[in-house]
Amino acid sequence: MKMDLVICGVGGQGNLLASVAIANYAMRKGLNVIGTETIGAAQRGGSVVSHLRISEEKIYSPTVPAGAADVILGFELVEALRHIDRLNPGGCYIVNSETVPTVLGNMGLDRYPPEGEILRELRLRSAKGYLINASEKARELGGAIMTNIVLLGALSRVLPFFEQEDLAAVLAELLPAKVLAVNLQALKAGYDLVA
Amino acid sequence: MKASYVMGNKAIAAGALEAGVSFVTGYPGTPATEIVEECLHGEDVYVEWSVNEKVALEMATGASLCNLRSLAVMKHNGTNFAADFIMHLNFTGVCGGLVLVSADDPGGNSSQNEEDTRILLHTYGHLPVFDPATPAEAKEMIKEAFELSEEMGSCYILRPVMRICHSRSVIQLSAQKKLQRVPQFVDDRSRFVMSAVSEPRAGGKMRPLWRHALLNQKQADFSRYAEESVFNSIEDGVGPIGFVGCGIGYSYIKEAETVLRRKFPVLKLGTLPLPRQKVLTFLRGLEKVVVFEEIEPVVAGLLRGICSDEGLTVKILGRDQFLPGEGELTTEEVIAAAARLGLVERPAAVKPAAVEAPVRTRTQCIGCSHRGLLSALKQVSRKNKAIVTGDIGCYDAGSFPPIELQSTIFCMGSSIPVASGIAKTGIDRPVVAVIGDSTFFHNGLLGLVGAVSNQSRITVVLCDNRTTAMTGFQPHPGSGENIFQETVPALSPEKIGQALGVKTRIINPYLLEESKTILDQAIREEGVSLVISRAPCYLLSTRRGGQPYFARREVRMVPERCNGCKICINDLGCPALYYMEDENRVAVDLKSCVHCGLCADLCRRGAIITV
Repeated sequence: MKMDLVICGVGGQGNLLASVAIANYAMRKGLNVIGTETIGAAQRGGSVVSHLRISEEKIYSPTVPAGAADVILGFELVEALRHIDRLNPGGCYIVNSETVPTVLGNMGLDRYPPEGEILRELRLRSAKGYLINASEKARELGGAIMTNIVLLGALSRVLPFFEQEDLAAVLAELLPAKVLAVNLQALKAGYDLVA
Repeated sequence: MKASYVMGNKAIAAGALEAGVSFVTGYPGTPATEIVEECLHGEDVYVEWSVNEKVALEMATGASLCNLRSLAVMKHNGTNFAADFIMHLNFTGVCGGLVLVSADDPGGNSSQNEEDTRILLHTYGHLPVFDPATPAEAKEMIKEAFELSEEMGSCYILRPVMRICHSRSVIQLSAQKKLQRVPQFVDDRSRFVMSAVSEPRAGGKMRPLWRHALLNQKQADFSRYAEESVFNSIEDGVGPIGFVGCGIGYSYIKEAETVLRRKFPVLKLGTLPLPRQKVLTFLRGLEKVVVFEEIEPVVAGLLRGICSDEGLTVKILGRDQFLPGEGELTTEEVIAAAARLGLVERPAAVKPAAVEAPVRTRTQCIGCSHRGLLSALKQVSRKNKAIVTGDIGCYDAGSFPPIELQSTIFCMGSSIPVASGIAKTGIDRPVVAVIGDSTFFHNGLLGLVGAVSNQSRITVVLCDNRTTAMTGFQPHPGSGENIFQETVPALSPEKIGQALGVKTRIINPYLLEESKTILDQAIREEGVSLVISRAPCYLLSTRRGGQPYFARREVRMVPERCNGCKICINDLGCPALYYMEDENRVAVDLKSCVHCGLCADLCRRGAIITV
């Protein structure tokens, strides 16, 4: 068992919590796990990327080499595109379809590529991928803040590595009790989003 | 013992607490900030955000002089700032164990520059350095560093790189050690009075010379430890080419071995000075070695020296040749190096995406109190053809598109003296320095004092949001609270201005027109003027359940009035405003807008209004 994940998004989207949940899940399964974040100026709308490495064997480097990621979990389309060189051809991508525009793009000084162009790039890297509107689903359930849990649910459907009961137990340890129920709903909703 | 998946910085703090640290100081700076904050979990541990890194190390030294174990934490820029003190502390030595954590940021992901503080601390300062390969090792190293610091009477350095600080791994956490030491101060003037006097204890030698000689003698003790240290080791492998892994460089070598299913001869190094005998044992019989270290060729140079001394002809390849001279190392870099040396096949290159991902330039948060100031100042300085110098903090994003206001950014506090220097040339343009409140207290104040006493003609604009927002809202001397969230007196920048005899004005940056008028007055004034732009950080004031500083006004678009001039976008750079090319007009993203109303105030066509 060896799995490299790249979880990418924009500051404030909660991708760190998702990576900690996956790491704790791996620990629960008795596996080794190492991760790292590159945050830059995260609070001001910057890119945030977490690398996460899970293995039965000893892991040395916290970073996922180019072409090695088994999964790209993209909280945002352009951020998935930015890190697509990490994906291995047999791996898969799960990407939130809701975009976060860039400031320069807003100004008309830069170009935010259309969804179709980004998808074509993603498909060139891997035949297996899912584009889901996790943000919309999270808002339906009570808040965009749960986008990360919806994506986690989708991930758990795609990878048989994840067992729902154990994943729920991990979330129960990480989240405040009063928001646990709705987050478990979000997890289920994400699971169901992946056909 | 409890195993937890934690950040490297927490592992480092846990190590310090397990070593019995009871006095912790620092100044916030990525990637080191959380080390100080994690020490708050210690019981009966004094923790403070110091006013700057030099003060932090001086404070920690004071505690060490009273026999407490103390820790000073900073990022590389802060270590530079503390350099003057370090070059005396190395001569005096310490009493209670003193460890300086100097966190480097290879790649400059969160810094104005990248540098390797091993050079300053070891090559220049002759202090012993631990360079960890993993967070778990960093934790063991800091514990060892406290023991050795007391044993050797020297300050010890832990130099983690960003990838150690900001990595997460499973760490065994143990109980905090309480040493129950009663602070005591023992006079030893021949050690702690650094002065150019003749030293009777050294046969009348000048004291600096004598202390220098003692520091040189200590190197033998540091080296003896390095020779036995578990942090340095040799791993056998096949072939005449060896790999040396310093700190995290070792982790990338091991990862490459796993990927390639190969075992190279490897020398793992975690200390400076080097274990000379171990190094010689490794080098003998090899033709070439490649040294993986971050960032500068420090160890590569030392290895060449050893080869030269011992008449070895091993070719030493490192970051001054063969490997990239800048940035973080990677597993890929190790594999590529092995391929260039003919050890393995060249891996197929991973193609970059054909579609370019647009950059996310830094900007102010939606609702930020700096946005109104930067907009007002941009308009006033364009009108007056002012030169604007900048400083470090959230407001520095005003130097990027679309605002493009500040023309310089160097290091903490440099905005004011640089502005002063520009003005003193007699240039026929007004000069403005933009500096944040935490940065002002860090090292801006002295620049202001100098500008006043040398009678410069500058305007200093102080962005006073009452916190160190950039690194995660750490309090500073103007905040009115300390790291424990206890209320303490807040230093008043306007009283400082008044005490210096500087004409001081205060503006509310959410009021654009009023701010422009006052900034315009200040810029036209003779002598030094101070404008304090005062409004608490939007994120901080709303995060604690409070109200924003501005009166919330519902923002609406009147699309037919917009002519697509984009003044709102160019002068505000607000992420909630976007331009729709097809319709040649601007729109407001009401999902993210927090209704500060600045765009409505700026729009002269009434295309954005508040209701």
